[in-house]
Amino acid sequence: MTILTTQPQVADRKALIGKPLRTAHYHVSCEDVGDFLGVMSDPNDFVAEAQHVAPPSFAPLVAVLGLLRTFDWKTDFWFDYRDGTAMFGEQFIEYHRPLYVGEEVEISAVISDVYEKTGRQTFDVVQLAFTIKGDWDGDSIMTGKQSYILFK
Amino acid sequence: MTIAPHKPLLEDLAVGMALPTVKFGPMDRFDYIPIALILRDTNPLHLDRVYAQERGLPDTVQQGPLNQAYLYQFFTNWLHQPWDLVSTEIRFSANVFPDDHLYCGGEIEALECGEGHDLVHCRLWQKNDDDTPILVGKASGRLPKQR
Repeated sequence: MTILTTQPQVADRKALIGKPLRTAHYHVSCEDVGDFLGVMSDPNDFVAEAQHVAPPSFAPLVAVLGLLRTFDWKTDFWFDYRDGTAMFGEQFIEYHRPLYVGEEVEISAVISDVYEKTGRQTFDVVQLAFTIKGDWDGDSIMTGKQSYILFK
Repeated sequence: MTIAPHKPLLEDLAVGMALPTVKFGPMDRFDYIPIALILRDTNPLHLDRVYAQERGLPDTVQQGPLNQAYLYQFFTNWLHQPWDLVSTEIRFSANVFPDDHLYCGGEIEALECGEGHDLVHCRLWQKNDDDTPILVGKASGRLPKQR
């Protein structure tokens, strides 16, 4: 039987569960932290110099931009960013040690869950489980989960 | 509702106490440029007012991680040391626009006595001038045993 439809069909993204994403790197540069401190003045004496502790308010930026480097919307999420709408969903992070200015972090992630939800629109929630490690000690700085909402 | 003191010890706190609310802003559209550079995200939605308005938005949209940064700063400045932060759980609810103010607050949900340090678990929120929730979630932090 042939089913005709005018709606574009999206393959079931549940097949993506368990898919490891590419490892990404981000250098916590003095320039980036300096630019950030120019926006977010802080009563603590954070300085944008190597080996100094970065403000924890900088951590979500590292997680967000680091994770965006681990996947391609089209090949990894089967999502065309040019004519589709995507947004951040829920984010959970555990912090294991401070982030330092000047260190390079390694971000690794895997697609840990995919599920469909229907509200005013129908969308898929793609959840990543991630680990961010520092190059100075190889220890985990942050681990957590980040979900993305992909409207259908 | 009782307001929790700044940089508290476990014995200063009780479940249900409110964290002292902090107001940030007004938000500045020119701050979106360095944040776009840090995030390597030059989406015109954050930078081009006309582009945003053509898509039905009142103005450029402040980057979500910048909204988070304000909530993090609010919570970690309440703790003794900024990196006493243990975990965060955040849901994005609405957009922030230039000239908005952000109000950050929360409530103590649970307290935990530990060996080397204690833990405080809080519900957190961030709202705009219209009382619309921007971010809602939870955060946990370490508390020292003594000052």
